[in-house]
Amino acid sequence: MNLNRTFSRLAIVFVALSFLGITLGCTKKNSAKENVLNNAITANLKGMDPIYANDAYSNQVISNIYEPLFEYHYLKRPLELQPLVASAMPTASKDGLTHTIKIKKGIKFQDDEAFPEGKGRDLTAKDFIYSWKRLADPANQSDGFWIFDGKIKGLNEWREKMGKGEASYEDEIEGLQAPDDETLVIKLTKPYFQLYYVLAMNYSAPVPKEAVDKYGKEFINHPVGTGPFKLDSWTRNSKVVLVKNPTWHGGKYPSEGEEGDDARGLLKDAGKDLPFVDKVVYSEIIEDQPRWLNFMKGKLDIVIIPKDNFDTSVSGDKLSKDLTDKGLKLEINEEPDVTYMAFNMLDPILGKNLELRRAISLATDTNTLLERFYNGRGVNALSPIPPGIDGYDKDFKNPYKEFNIEKAKEHLKKAGYPDGKGLPEFEYSTTNSTTARQMAEYTQQNLAALGIKIRIAATSWPQFTDKLREKKAQMWGIAWSADYPDAENFLQLLYGKNVSPGPNSANYVNKKFDELYEKALKLPPSPERTVIYKQMKEIFVQDLPWIPNIHRKAYVLYHGWIENYKRHAIINGEAKYIRVNLNQKAKLAEKL
Amino acid sequence: MLKYTIRRILYVIPILFGVTLVCFLLFNVAGGDPAAQAAGKYATVEQIESIRAELGLNQPIYLQYLDYLKQILTFDFGRSWSTKQKISEMFWSGVGPSLSVTVPGFLITLMITIPLSLVLGYLRDSFIDRTAMVVCLALISISSLVYILAGQYFLAYLWGMFPISGWDSSWTGRWEYTTLPILIMVVLSLGGQILFFRTIFIEELSKDYVRTARAKGLSNKKVLTKHILRNALIPIITLVVLQVPFLILGSLLLESFFGIPGLGGLLVTAINNADFPVIKAMIVILTILYTTFNLISDLLYAVVDPKVRLQ
Repeated sequence: MNLNRTFSRLAIVFVALSFLGITLGCTKKNSAKENVLNNAITANLKGMDPIYANDAYSNQVISNIYEPLFEYHYLKRPLELQPLVASAMPTASKDGLTHTIKIKKGIKFQDDEAFPEGKGRDLTAKDFIYSWKRLADPANQSDGFWIFDGKIKGLNEWREKMGKGEASYEDEIEGLQAPDDETLVIKLTKPYFQLYYVLAMNYSAPVPKEAVDKYGKEFINHPVGTGPFKLDSWTRNSKVVLVKNPTWHGGKYPSEGEEGDDARGLLKDAGKDLPFVDKVVYSEIIEDQPRWLNFMKGKLDIVIIPKDNFDTSVSGDKLSKDLTDKGLKLEINEEPDVTYMAFNMLDPILGKNLELRRAISLATDTNTLLERFYNGRGVNALSPIPPGIDGYDKDFKNPYKEFNIEKAKEHLKKAGYPDGKGLPEFEYSTTNSTTARQMAEYTQQNLAALGIKIRIAATSWPQFTDKLREKKAQMWGIAWSADYPDAENFLQLLYGKNVSPGPNSANYVNKKFDELYEKALKLPPSPERTVIYKQMKEIFVQDLPWIPNIHRKAYVLYHGWIENYKRHAIINGEAKYIRVNLNQKAKLAEKL
Repeated sequence: MLKYTIRRILYVIPILFGVTLVCFLLFNVAGGDPAAQAAGKYATVEQIESIRAELGLNQPIYLQYLDYLKQILTFDFGRSWSTKQKISEMFWSGVGPSLSVTVPGFLITLMITIPLSLVLGYLRDSFIDRTAMVVCLALISISSLVYILAGQYFLAYLWGMFPISGWDSSWTGRWEYTTLPILIMVVLSLGGQILFFRTIFIEELSKDYVRTARAKGLSNKKVLTKHILRNALIPIITLVVLQVPFLILGSLLLESFFGIPGLGGLLVTAINNADFPVIKAMIVILTILYTTFNLISDLLYAVVDPKVRLQ
């Protein structure tokens, strides 16, 4: 037996593999000369049909291909709507029930085989009516119908008939009319001041009937929009490549923004034609490490700093010297969201004993939670309304949001359970991700200090939401991110008529709160409405159906060759505004 | 032999039936309400009911199960409830990338572990053998995540030998992205396989026929390769053949860290989304593959070892 020969063969295999790796590693293409924006999404893309755009990742891609009537101004804060394919903001009747929207002339769907001779045709008002019927059609099972549910005259009735096979797309709907190709008239069943916001969501973006008919269910993989980019290729679970749409109607970079934007160089391209890049690539990278390492090698242009890399990158909201030397830039943005611990108000103990909820709130150490699980990336939440949204007040007081065990014990005594004696063990529901479990354990520790025992029930997301919908959970941790920048989007989570299976999973009902909510619904954004929101927050604090935890902050890093980047918490179609400075990229890439 | 083969193929039917039934019942008891998942966060009771009707979930449970059996027979599992994508497309687009990592990784591992284990068995209790055992134990004691994180950081990021992650669909381009995950897969499997194979070879080395062969004056090389290796192939074939179905399903961690668009995460994502059509399809495919390869391994016994007579 020749052992040397065997080992030699093994060694050859290893050397060959390593050589292959080195050789191939050296063949990596140099993309420094391409005018391309390299982005990452942190989940696999499901598809590109706007009626299924129910997650941030799909929206991020779709926003470049499809265009709804309105969009958010890229630079202005607080967020402000502006026309996109509409030629102006709508005109509303005095009673707020009829809204007339004019559509820009000459907007074309991108060229596609679905059209005669492959040439995209003009967008008309009828395309919106068709697309919204498609959203409402029960056969399509879109979860985006809520944007119009019960609000447009005749649409719910049409939907019901479609479900029974008694209606068709040819039927007229009273609340959706197109008197001519450029005019769209929407008639509402009741005042709905969030209408313009939902008309800026991708759910409401127009799609051409020809393409839906041609591709059928495969339309999800053949997007045909009016936006600045169109699909070039999609390698499922790997990457999406978008290229400039040559028939795009065009747009200009904004000439005004919020204070400080000029000094940051965000207005250098004011009035210039969009988009600035030829290509946008979205790599689907789920894990933090490869996303971070690809960014550090310059393969990605923009990244949200992963939790594990935060402490070595940022200190006191300042970027480390090492990263600054590489030309990296940091953008910090307060996100419109809230994480919270909710109580089921139907629970005979938790729901009926206010002093007990107060005690739990006082025993919750939010600051440690913020440091331990978010690297301090957030602010202590005192109410459901997050920063950047009308109704948020940083000076708002919630007396039960201080970590004070002594006070908590007093309230627990008042609740009739001194040192937790006599209390049964509660079930705390959460999802089965590692972080969610760890956070639940943290809550468990917090409450144990008070003598309150909880057991953790960690399940899959579907089982977790089933529990909430069926009113079976006792207490749980969850988060809510804004669909649009209006406090109503958060306060509806506490509205009495939205109890489970609706979004008010805490099953909180307070007559006064509900009256104020209904009153605010009838008001446009105004100081009067803001006062109502404040009153609602005070009722919330008095009743404590939730313990608000944190409003999160995004810490975004981008390379020095990226220009015009400004984090926007709600829009996703920022690619058209971004410029890649290729000269700068060639220089800075050498430092990476 | 033919009778046996036919009988074994027929056994697959009740197994498949049993597995699908258990999977179906489990999902209906503990899987979460798929209609509610599809209806989204603002769903009303009416909307959930409407979707339930669209998905056929308001039918009696036995009819739903019969539908499932029909899908198995036609091999048409429809579309995913979560992504709305065609399941066959999801499956076929993922098989290639998964196999591009797992097959080379698996074969290279076998090429290394079988001869190495044979040699270590022969050199039992020597310094080389003991050192190798310590290394193998160390290899299997370290979490797979460590290999992946360290391999990606040092070999790809710091030393630039491989791309950090990514994928190229072309056959010539994909090896650029799969070489590192293949290497890591080999390292991950080495320790366990060497320990297992070495034990098998040692057991064979102590048998009478080995002493007889040596007494006949055969060289060590002949004893090891002609006698021991052949006799030890039964447990090795069992292990090897039964691993094949899992090669098709890919590796969740490797694929997710290296951006390989394979099938690794498909089942896990489907379970997390209560995406029953995908779960059903994956369970059926896995069951068919597993039972088929089980059958193949049984049939191979007879080929490898004439002592095994199939009754």
